This record gives sequence, structure tokens and C-alpha cells, in this order.
Amino acid sequence: MGNEFDQYLSTFIDETKEYMSTLNEQMLLLENEPDNMEAINEIFRTIHTLKGMSGTMGFSNMAKLSHRMENIFDLIRTEKLKVTHDNSDLLFAGVDLLEKMTDSISTGGSDESVDISQVLTQYERILNGEDLEPVDSVDTPSKTEEFPEKSSEEQNEGSESPIDIPDEVINVLREGKGAGFKPYYAKIRLEEGTLLKSARMYMVFHKLEELNSEVLYSKPDVEKIEDEVFDREVEIIFLSKLAESKLVKALSSISEIENVKIFVLTVKNETGGNNMSESGYEEQANGKATQKKQNIPNMNQDKSNQEEENSNFKKPQTASSKLTRTIRVDTEKLDTLMNLMAELVIARSRINETLKKYDIKQVDESLAQLSRNTSDLQNIVMKIRMVPISYVFNRFPRMVRDLARKNNKEIQLIISGQETEVDRTVVEEIGDPLVHLLRNAVDHGIESTEERYKLGKPPTGIVRLDAKHEGNNVVIDVQDDGKGLDREKIIAKAVERGLTDEMSAAALSDEEVFSFIFLPGFSTKDEVTDLSGRGVGMDVVKTSIENLNGSISIESEKGKGTKVTIRLPLTLAIIQALLVKVSNLVYAIPIASIDSTLNLPTSEIQIVQSREVVVIRGEIIPIVWLKEVFQLPIDEDKENIHVVIVKVGNKKFGLVVDGLLGQDDIVIKSLGKLLKDVNEFSGAAILGDGSISLILEIANIVHQNV
Amino acid sequence: MGKRVLIVDDAAFMRMILKDIVTKNGYEVAGEAANGLEAIERYKELKPDVTTMDITMPEMNGIDAIKKIKEADSEAKVIVCSAMGQQAMVIDAIQAGAKDFIVKPFQHSRVIEALNKVTG
Repeated sequence: MGNEFDQYLSTFIDETKEYMSTLNEQMLLLENEPDNMEAINEIFRTIHTLKGMSGTMGFSNMAKLSHRMENIFDLIRTEKLKVTHDNSDLLFAGVDLLEKMTDSISTGGSDESVDISQVLTQYERILNGEDLEPVDSVDTPSKTEEFPEKSSEEQNEGSESPIDIPDEVINVLREGKGAGFKPYYAKIRLEEGTLLKSARMYMVFHKLEELNSEVLYSKPDVEKIEDEVFDREVEIIFLSKLAESKLVKALSSISEIENVKIFVLTVKNETGGNNMSESGYEEQANGKATQKKQNIPNMNQDKSNQEEENSNFKKPQTASSKLTRTIRVDTEKLDTLMNLMAELVIARSRINETLKKYDIKQVDESLAQLSRNTSDLQNIVMKIRMVPISYVFNRFPRMVRDLARKNNKEIQLIISGQETEVDRTVVEEIGDPLVHLLRNAVDHGIESTEERYKLGKPPTGIVRLDAKHEGNNVVIDVQDDGKGLDREKIIAKAVERGLTDEMSAAALSDEEVFSFIFLPGFSTKDEVTDLSGRGVGMDVVKTSIENLNGSISIESEKGKGTKVTIRLPLTLAIIQALLVKVSNLVYAIPIASIDSTLNLPTSEIQIVQSREVVVIRGEIIPIVWLKEVFQLPIDEDKENIHVVIVKVGNKKFGLVVDGLLGQDDIVIKSLGKLLKDVNEFSGAAILGDGSISLILEIANIVHQNV
Repeated sequence: MGKRVLIVDDAAFMRMILKDIVTKNGYEVAGEAANGLEAIERYKELKPDVTTMDITMPEMNGIDAIKKIKEADSEAKVIVCSAMGQQAMVIDAIQAGAKDFIVKPFQHSRVIEALNKVTG
């Protein structure tokens, strides 16, 4: 197989991973709503696909396991098995094994390295009926006078399409019954995308013929089927001597048949006129209005049910049609594209810069056009790199569930805004910090069930994970309704560590107090767990967020809960910046952190508590002379100063510069490993004239100088 | 190990594609034929587990070939290969005894599904 195998393999791995996340998602849904047919069907389909794919790729262990799981879900699907806590654990175990095998395969190993024997044995036990909880005594040919498959999903939903049977057909049905034939109703659905549907449906009729069954009636009628005037479903009435299970098997063996539903019709002999048997009727109508009309079961269902059924069908359809409209692109290519885009942005700025000097009218227009086009292009490239944050969020429900079970807590994770799109790099990096925060929320934030009961809180703790766009930022909140942070204890700890003294601590805002837990080494695991209920390795989280040019803050109320807010830039590669001059050097300040710019007479600088400040609209703003920061020569005799007001957290600071040069898109280039300790700068950018400008790391500059 | 497939199609390219698909999925190519007459010969000679049969072919078309093959071996398993718009032909082929059909351009999964179903 060689190269071709490899070529298929990456597709296989990518797709399998997608399916794994679908599985996890739907399994969780199912655990909470054990009757959710949509989830059951989705899982069944997904496992089925996995089985097919792994089989095609020759991963026999994987195929074997998914096959067994498929069998189990088939039982669940046909309601012969109920989803319980115990067997869902077991099914989760299967999903985990599949995931392990996928990981092993994607790292160059094989699926054989994962031991599935134990789980398989347990599955076998379920399949052999040892744990089986029959919902309904299962259909046997002897029970034909009832509706054995009233347990089938559609029956329960009461969403069978209505079909009128002409009187003649009913008469034939009755006659047939005497001759040892059983009247059957079947609903056959073709797979989506089936080609030559009439021929396919013909195979169904042909098969029935081979089985000595007689088709009496179909909807749509044979002519329409021949002309391919039908969607994917055909309903038929036929007579057969065979048992229902054999018929299902025979018809299902035809290719491209997605679904076959067959059940025996109950025909009243003489007295009920042409009606179907009342008993069977009522039973399967499931408490719905049971009118006695001469038609197939469920004719009397209301329209809303049909619509429900329709929408059920449509969901998977739109999902799959969406799939086909996407293509997979190697992420490396995206990175290259982004880099090229960045170079293009630089080149544009340089051309702009150069041509400005000559003031040529003729090029102005084309230059403007070029600018627009590159901006559009840039936007699109950025959008291509954007992925919904659900890529990260999807694994959390499972994680929280497992953690909660381990801790014996009842926790509900509520996720919102998972469709929020962020840059791919952000998605890759944000996972671990979020895991950390959620872990803290579950392990230390949410109290035990008993404790919550004592406190009069609802027994189920709630953890919320929310993402949303805010300007050029994406904001992610992790919030719990647990015990919250204990201000006093944190202060005590901070004093003990010599980070503050009791006097000044009293004046600190809650936010300032809570920010102590972000300090490296502030917390050690054991102590913090009972000290604040939070804070394990928060410094690590903070560092990762800051590496993404983001910020993190904490709000908390004792006894009520804690909310951690992460703010991240939408993209990490290109930012808008204000270019400023300090001495003869040009520096870039990210627009995102700028509040405003001012030109003030030097005389307005005041000294408050031996600090230089300016007062703007009644607000006292400390100022920092960038010249001092960078140790450049200072000429003090200027009449006016330029001040760039920046925001760090909720506070404003003024940066004094020599001049404002203008706003530009800049491409952030890392300073490299050698300069990683230089924390005044977040990177460098190449400007339009080819010179290099350093990008200011505002937060660090302010912290070090105020 | 794998089930043996006889591939019948007048286009060498289509045979190659099918060969590729079936060999990649654990089937063995027993042989190839380029028209109906050849198909009958080869069928008798090779006794394949399953035959893929194009419909439109020179010398003798696929439907007639199926009939002849079925006469020789009533257990013969034939899958018809059809193009879009050959609905009626496909129905004829099924009446003639074809067990399944696949539609060009071939989807690998469908081809394999058909082979598996027919041989399984």
C-alpha cells in the first residue's frame, strides 16, 4: 500500500478525530437525556462510519470495537436496551479506547497496541442480554397480531407518515391473511445521495418478489417511483409469509438502504368494517388521539409530529452538505499564507511610503486600490485561520463530567459562545490554561454536594464557560458558583510572604488582592486548596495567556463563586499600532491598549505623592517618560509634551513621547529566544520605509516604572 | 485470502480504477474482460467470487452477458456498473440477475459496500 496508504491515513486521522469529538459530545447529551433519539442515531451513524473507515484502513482492532459498539447502539436504537449510568460508563470507556487507538495511529503506531479485550468482554455480556433491560417483549413472528415494533423510534415519536389504503387493498389484505400471508407495512428510506433511486427502489420490489411477497400498494405509486418522483422514502403495503425480522434483514441487505421499518398490520376480520384493529391501533398511537379510520396506523397524528420528523431528517442532511463544502488544508500552508500576507502588508506600506515623497497623482488611485485589496485579502486570510472555539470547548464537557464523578460532586457545565471564532494559534494555546481553570473550578471551587446542601445552595454546582467577541478581542469567562476566594486568607498569605503589609493590604481593592494568586510561587497546592479554594498554578495560566498577548483577571465573591476572565487578541500576527517617536527612534504602541492621545503644556505636569501626574478631566493619570525608560537623552525645555494615554486593566497611564507619527498595520515578529528576557517589548515590526520598530509591551513598562 | 473479482469494462482506465479500489480493500482481481463475450469466457475459466459488469460494451453488452453467465452458473454474483441516466438498463440488469449496481463515477465506499454485500 505504501504511499497511497499514507495519503489516505492523514485524511482518516483527521476525520476520525472529528468523529471522536462528535461521539463524546453526543454521549454526554445521551447520558443526560437517555431518550434522545437524535443523539442515539447520531452516535450510531458515527460509530458505523468509524467502523467502515477503520475497516477500510485495515485497523482491525478499531473496527472490531466499533462494530461491537454499533451493535449495542443498535439495541439502544431499537429500544431493547436502556441507557443507564453503568452502561454509559462502559460506552465511554469504549470511546476512550477508540480515542487511544486514534492517537496511537496518528503518532505512527497501530491500533493493536491498545488492549480492548476487557471492554469487548463486557460488551459481549451486554449483547448477550445479561445486562439487558428489555423495554418491550421483543417481536417474534408469533406475535403478529400486535404491533411488535411499537418500540421502534418512530412509533414512539408517533411520527409515521400517514398513508391511505384503498378499500380494495384492505380486502386483499384480509384475504391474504386467510391464506397464511401476513399483511405488512414497510417504510424504506434510501441513503442520502443515492444515485438511480428508481433502480434502487426497484431492487426492493425485486427482492420482495424473490421472497414470494406480494406488493399491494405503495406510496408514492409505482409510476412515480419509476419516474424518480420521490425523495428518499417509499412506504409499501405487502403480503408475505416470512417473519418480519427476515424481511428486515433481506431488505437491509440491499445497498444504499439507510433504513427499513417493517411491521405487521392488524386487520380486523369482519365486524370492524374495514378498520384496522382497535387494540393495535391504540397501542401504537401511544395515547394520542385514536380515531377509527381506515388507514395505516398513525394516520391520525397531528401535523406537528410530521414537521418534527422532517426537521429530524433535515439536521443530518444540512450537516453533511456543509461538510462537503469544506476542504482540508495543511495548517503549515495556512501559516505560510499568513506570513506571505504579512510580507505583502509590509511591502504595501513601503510602496506607500516611497511614493508619498514624489506626490504623483496618477498612482494615488491605484495605490488606494492596492490598499483596499490588500486589506480585504488580509481579512480573508485571517478569517481562514479562524476556527470556532468549539474545537477547544468540545472536550470540556467530558472532562468536567469525569472530574465531577471522581470528586463525587454534581456539576453542570454550561457552555456558550462556542461558535466564537478565534485564530488557530489561539485555539492551540488556550486549551491548557482553560483545562487548568476548569479543573480549579471543579476541584476547589464547587463545594461537595453535602456542603452545598448545608449552605442552602442547589446541590448541582454550575460551571459556566463562555466565549464572545469584544472589539478586537475574544473574551473567555470561566465562572463557577462555588465557594469563591477568601480575601482575608489571601492577604494573610501575602503578608506572610512579604508581598505586602497589613496596613496597605487593607487599602487594596479585591481585584488587587486576588491578583496575588497569579504571582509565581504564591500558592502551593496543599495550602491553597484549603486556603482560597483556588489558585493552583495560576501563575502558569497567567504566563500562557500573556504569551498570547492576552490578559487575565479574577472576580470573586466569598460563598458565591469566582469568575476568571481571559481576554485575547483575535489574531496574533498583524495588529494596528500607533507609531511614536522617542528621540530619533520609532516605537509602536498597539492601538488596542491606547485610550487617547494628548498634547499638553509641560507646565501641566503635577507632582502627587512624589509621582509625576497629569490631570485630565478630573482624572489623575501617572505619566512615564519613555525617554527615561529607554535611557535616551532628555531635553527638558520643551513647552509641550505629547502624551499617549494607555489602559492597563482598568487603570490609565500616560506615556510621554516626542511625537506621533501615525497609525499603521504592523506585523509582529518575535524578538527571538536571545532577547526573551527583554520584557519592555513584545516584538518588532518592519515599517514601510524598511526600518525596524520595537513594539512596546505596555503592561510591563507601566508596572516597572510606576 | 481476499475474494476474487472479475472486472468487466471496455475502458482500460475504468478497469484500472476498479482494480485499484478492489485491491486496496482486500479483494483480489481474478481477471479482466473488455466486453460481454470475453466476460463469459473468463467467467467460466476463472470462476470468480464476484463480477463487476459494465453495461455498455462492444461485442456483447453487459445485460446479455449477465443472462449468459447466469445460465452457466445460477449462483453467479454480478454487480452492474452503470452511468447516470441508465436507470432502465439497470433495472433490466437486475431482472437478468445482477445483485447490486454501482454508479460511475465510482465512490470507493459504494463499490466496496456492494462487493461486501454481494459476497458477504
